[in-house]
Amino acid sequence: MRYGFIIDNRKCIGCHACTVACKTENHVPLTVNRTWVKYVEKGTYPNTRRVFQVTRCNHCENPPCVTICPVTAMYQRKDGIVDFSSERCIGCKACMQACPYDSIYIDPDEGTAAKCHYCAHRTEVGLEPACVVVCPEHAIIAGDLDACDGEIAQLLAREPVRVRKPEQNTRPKLYYIDGDESAIVPTAARHEPMYMWSQRNESVHGGGAIYPTDSPLLQKNALAAYDVSHARPWGWQVPAYCWTKAIGSGALAIPAIAMVLGRLGADRMRDVALSTIALLFTALTTVLLVWDLEHKMRFLRVVFMPQKRSWLARGAFILIGYSGVSGLFWIASVLGFSAIAFGLLWPTVLAGFLAAVYTAFLFGQCEGRDLWQTPLLPVHLIVQALLCGAAVLALLPAALGGSDEARDVAKIALLASLVFHLLIVFAEFMMPHSTDNAAYAARLITHGPFKNWFWIAGVLVGGILPLLLLCAPVPEGEPIAAVFALMGLLAFEWCFVMAGQSVPNS
Amino acid sequence: MSKEFKRDGSHLAYCPPVEKWDDWVELDAEAWPKRVERHYQLVPTVCFNCESACGLLAYVDKATGQVAKFEGNPMHPASRGRLCAKGPATINQIQDPDRVLYPMKRAGARGAGKWTRTSWDEVLETFGTRIRKAILEGRGEEVMYHVGRPGHDFIMERTLQAWGIDGHNSHTNVCSSSARLGYLLWHYADRPSPDHANARFILLLSAHLESGHYFNPHAQRIIDGKMAGAKLAVMDPRLSNTASMADYWMPTYPGTEAAVLLAMAKVILDEKRFDASFVRKWTNWEELEVDGFSAQGQSFEAVIEALKKHYAKFTPQFAEKESGVRAEVIVKIAREIATAGSRFASHLWRGSASGNLGGWQPARALMLLHVLTGSVGTEGGHNLNAWNKFVPRPFSVPPPQKKWNELLYPREWPLCTHEMSFLLPHFLKEGRGRIEAYFTRVFNPVWTYPDGFSWIEMLRDEDKVGLHAALSPTWSETAWFADYVLPMGFSSERHDLMSQESYAGKWIGFRQPVNRVLRERAGEKFEYTYQANPGEVWEEDEFWIDLSWAIDPDGAMGIRRYFESPYRPGQKLTVDDYYGWIFDHSVPGLPETAKKEGLTPLEYMRKYGAFEVTRDVYKQNEKALSAGDLAGSSVEASGVVKKDGKAIGVMIEDKPVVGYGTPSRKLELFSKTMADWKWPEFTLPEYYRSHIHRSAQGASVGQPGEDFDPEYTPVVEWPKEARGEVYTLLPIFRLPNLIHTRSGNAKFLYEISHKNPLWVNPVDARKLGGVRTGDLMKVHTEIGFFVLHAWVTEGLAPGVVACSHHLGRWRVNKDDQVERMSSAWVDLKEVGKGQWKMRQLETVSPYESLDPETKRVWWSDAGVHQDITFPVHPDPISGMHCWHQMVRVEKASTDDRYGDIFVDTNLSHAVYLRWKALARPAPGPGGLRRPLWIPRVVRPEESAFYMKKA
Repeated sequence: MRYGFIIDNRKCIGCHACTVACKTENHVPLTVNRTWVKYVEKGTYPNTRRVFQVTRCNHCENPPCVTICPVTAMYQRKDGIVDFSSERCIGCKACMQACPYDSIYIDPDEGTAAKCHYCAHRTEVGLEPACVVVCPEHAIIAGDLDACDGEIAQLLAREPVRVRKPEQNTRPKLYYIDGDESAIVPTAARHEPMYMWSQRNESVHGGGAIYPTDSPLLQKNALAAYDVSHARPWGWQVPAYCWTKAIGSGALAIPAIAMVLGRLGADRMRDVALSTIALLFTALTTVLLVWDLEHKMRFLRVVFMPQKRSWLARGAFILIGYSGVSGLFWIASVLGFSAIAFGLLWPTVLAGFLAAVYTAFLFGQCEGRDLWQTPLLPVHLIVQALLCGAAVLALLPAALGGSDEARDVAKIALLASLVFHLLIVFAEFMMPHSTDNAAYAARLITHGPFKNWFWIAGVLVGGILPLLLLCAPVPEGEPIAAVFALMGLLAFEWCFVMAGQSVPNS
Repeated sequence: MSKEFKRDGSHLAYCPPVEKWDDWVELDAEAWPKRVERHYQLVPTVCFNCESACGLLAYVDKATGQVAKFEGNPMHPASRGRLCAKGPATINQIQDPDRVLYPMKRAGARGAGKWTRTSWDEVLETFGTRIRKAILEGRGEEVMYHVGRPGHDFIMERTLQAWGIDGHNSHTNVCSSSARLGYLLWHYADRPSPDHANARFILLLSAHLESGHYFNPHAQRIIDGKMAGAKLAVMDPRLSNTASMADYWMPTYPGTEAAVLLAMAKVILDEKRFDASFVRKWTNWEELEVDGFSAQGQSFEAVIEALKKHYAKFTPQFAEKESGVRAEVIVKIAREIATAGSRFASHLWRGSASGNLGGWQPARALMLLHVLTGSVGTEGGHNLNAWNKFVPRPFSVPPPQKKWNELLYPREWPLCTHEMSFLLPHFLKEGRGRIEAYFTRVFNPVWTYPDGFSWIEMLRDEDKVGLHAALSPTWSETAWFADYVLPMGFSSERHDLMSQESYAGKWIGFRQPVNRVLRERAGEKFEYTYQANPGEVWEEDEFWIDLSWAIDPDGAMGIRRYFESPYRPGQKLTVDDYYGWIFDHSVPGLPETAKKEGLTPLEYMRKYGAFEVTRDVYKQNEKALSAGDLAGSSVEASGVVKKDGKAIGVMIEDKPVVGYGTPSRKLELFSKTMADWKWPEFTLPEYYRSHIHRSAQGASVGQPGEDFDPEYTPVVEWPKEARGEVYTLLPIFRLPNLIHTRSGNAKFLYEISHKNPLWVNPVDARKLGGVRTGDLMKVHTEIGFFVLHAWVTEGLAPGVVACSHHLGRWRVNKDDQVERMSSAWVDLKEVGKGQWKMRQLETVSPYESLDPETKRVWWSDAGVHQDITFPVHPDPISGMHCWHQMVRVEKASTDDRYGDIFVDTNLSHAVYLRWKALARPAPGPGGLRRPLWIPRVVRPEESAFYMKKA
């Protein structure tokens, strides 16, 4: 048994009956939709057409929302329906990032993720979904794709169909007959601040997707005539989390490497100071993560009932592990057990690398954010952690173990990590992207509303200025460069996380 | 009866089986995936939004006793269990926190916005006394019932005739009078019933895939036809959703549709692709008189030649010049129509007919195509509404009234199909009469009619309107100017019996007050439906019965007897009595079907909500006259069979058959009626240049072209401040999910649409100075202006702008007695005599109410009211208000704000007079007010048709 949908655009008249029937059946609140009908007007008068596209969860065979969910709140049933449980959900919104189709929203009453669930509560009692029943044209066909004598299997066998974004490898089970490029490709149609009979809802969290009118991905004369807005799931806490985590995870790394290379001697005070920073910033990281949850009190579920494939759950264990080992290191350093501290140094540093890098795997599970799926990200996150470690070292006052020797090390490390960071950023934004989604997000950063944050704060203040400061003979250049680099990195994280989420996926 | 509702090969059902309707167990959607069982009772009723009358199934939660949701009723033959967006949204309307729950009486001056609760007894006493006095004093015509979309059949005609008054007013001539005239001149029936499902070619001059008369049932069958291989062509200047689905979109310049249709007829005639035997047999070609040619004594072939000669000027090239549709497309479609032959279906409703002066000509021209292809009465062709609609008779029908109300059917428009309702304020201004008691019933003329400020002026004048009750489920712009607002129920809170011509069959649908029905089933008894409805929301059937008793308490006036039970003599009629009697006696096949299930006919209708009466509906004109019909009849030389002075049939190939309801009993290619009633130039289908034709636009700025003829078209006189380019505004398109002012209380519908920008083609956007979507535009009409945003779109012909008439609601109170999610709070001011200004003070914003969701209303726009800036445009023949507006469009200035409106009603009266001057008044032949053969709602007795000699 594999439930799926066919939307037959030969028949769909764009009447919105499905939208409303879904809302009344499932008590879907205002501001959010489980299904809606996107309108796109294309062509030039009089060769013009308005195309309609019923848009909703695809009940993917390979659902990324299920993989990323840390607590099994999103799950795939045996019959192929991708269902959800509000009771389990912690409101982390990772599923919204994982869905390449804008199908998931946070229910404003419950604060939990919700979406089309094929009216599973109806199929259980032998009824078709509400949208199927209401449709005046029987343009929405539901049923078992494996039942050869059924209408849906027969249509699928006889008609040419297409799915949304097959390149995401999600294997959607919602097929369009006569799907149109202008509507099916989310970045194809021009969006104005209003539609033909409605406003564009910009009051959704984060203001919704950004639609630059000069996007090179726009199809000529394709105009979105009706659409609904989708919240930008993650708030400022997430770029802040990336930043605090880079600091926390990289704090001990530079001295450790320098010591191996014989460029720096041991210093208990420095160990105490840096491991304190590691612990504090890792704790801050956790606070930020919890802060962005819709259900903050449910955060322990990630640990006590984890969904093991989720990098959000795995990340929680990594952060706990890192906090544990760096905590032991701190205790050993404070108590002066130098041998134990020495033995714990590299395990702590390596755990820090793990803490730094796991986010790349988490972002990799965000199938809806192609910008984040870059293979350079693991390396980049380590470079960012090292950059932060170098900056912290450069800022370390003598009272806390800072020294000329340490500052020299920091200078070289900061120079090297800044160069690597800028190289990766250059590669990231100047090289062609593998998908339109990634290219669209990258362009939002380099040419769109994030361009000032990116070029001025991220690249100039965070990269070029500190490089110049470090290369030029400026007194006290290192701490200033360190502060610039840290601020620049924060701006970069902001652009990277926010632009990634500002791409329309529907 | 065991009924399962499953599609072939599916194990899922589209509705629970009938045997489980009394206790259907579903799992709670919100609790899911926890399995929480909900027990429902499923009760059928009928939607009360648009006119389609689709079948709803109310899911009543047994735990709360309240309706939880509405789905489609699969037993309903027209809607077949499927609905448009407005069907499920009925639950929003029931649960609307701003709805009217109790009868309300005004507490201050009319229109001051102060209300106090009153009782139904007080309402009945007040109105009963006033109406009784008026009737007894011979002023019965001062009592007027004015209905929006009725949502029921015959019961009001019966009520008013029982009162003996000519007091029925309707909204029809702002809606469809012109299309009706075009159709009725051909075949008496005034509406088409296309058999889309079986057609090979479908031509729509309407937007039936998103709106229209009858949206959901027709949209289903159009797509059924298309999937079975029919081609679809749409003629519309605007890219409707329907046009989007078409194989051919013909964006005609508005008002030129008849030119295109006649060019198609010419192609079919010239290429001899017409059905000669049908035309010979079923049209009155023998009566043709045209261009000096008379058919008398002439052969059929000679008549065809005369027709060809007459239509010779309608070359496809001429049609292209007028309409902008390419000549080769016109020829191609004409040939496809001819190829489809008897399986050519079409629909024309509103749009070109309602927009244009002479809008009845496109309907006549379209019918010519059906006549030429022989696709009248055929499977897959054009059928008559009367053949596909079933209105059963009740237990006793009062005699027709003796009087003729000139406020309804004034002498200037003897051929108007319906009441000249939108001119009422002007008639009262002219001193033609007054109104003692006025019922506006789910009817909002201040907002939906043109010239709303003239309505406000009329309604607030207590000398003109003595007592005004708004019967309405919701507050409205008209209700605020009433003395009483009387809450009437929605779809699941009232009784009505309905039928529409939705497909090749006849059916009836039964609307019922679901809570009352269920509680009575459980043993409770209610005297009145308002006792079981929310608050004291009543239903009209009972209201009129009780009011009739209040008018004639002792039966001395002869009114009460029509409202006494046919089963319990002398006792008050109940709704069960009324419909029970109809179902027992007047619906063929229903008693037998009910009996098979062990039910009474009334029980059957309460259980299933609908009944299909017959599928034998084609070619009713060919039905033989029975021996009984023929007894005492005579055959005239023309072949018309007459009995008692009335035509009852016609001889066709020597057989007496029923024929059509026209004087010739045939399809009237040639209308002698038009000649008799002073319009000899329109005896045949012709092309009438509309009031917004380019030549009329030229005339408005002093440059009339050679096509402009002031005998047929009034000259627009622009107000001094009207500047900008001259355009034609298309102001009448519906949105698929709204229905005029009935749907402002449905949050899920308003969330989808809440704005009505001005559509502008990019070519015009450049011409107007680089207009971009969202720019503020000022649109000047002949009597004022309105200010709104632009929507620049390729989906509209250049030279034309468009704006939906579904949005732009406003309210005078900020918070109370208003629908807050769908209206802007405005400052309404009369700045000089007849000079009205409206400015939006506050747009829509979230608010506290019994529905926590209203805190989440995210849209801030409710649109801009355009109709109120339109003058009245009565078509001189059909009486239709010709909606399209000649406007001047410019970019708004810095003084203009979104939603600003200005109107001078002095100008609107002047426009009324200019249009009135085009009409050619009664009397007609023999001193008639109106041709006897033309239908009239609530038809008076024949003597009333004759004007009294002065």
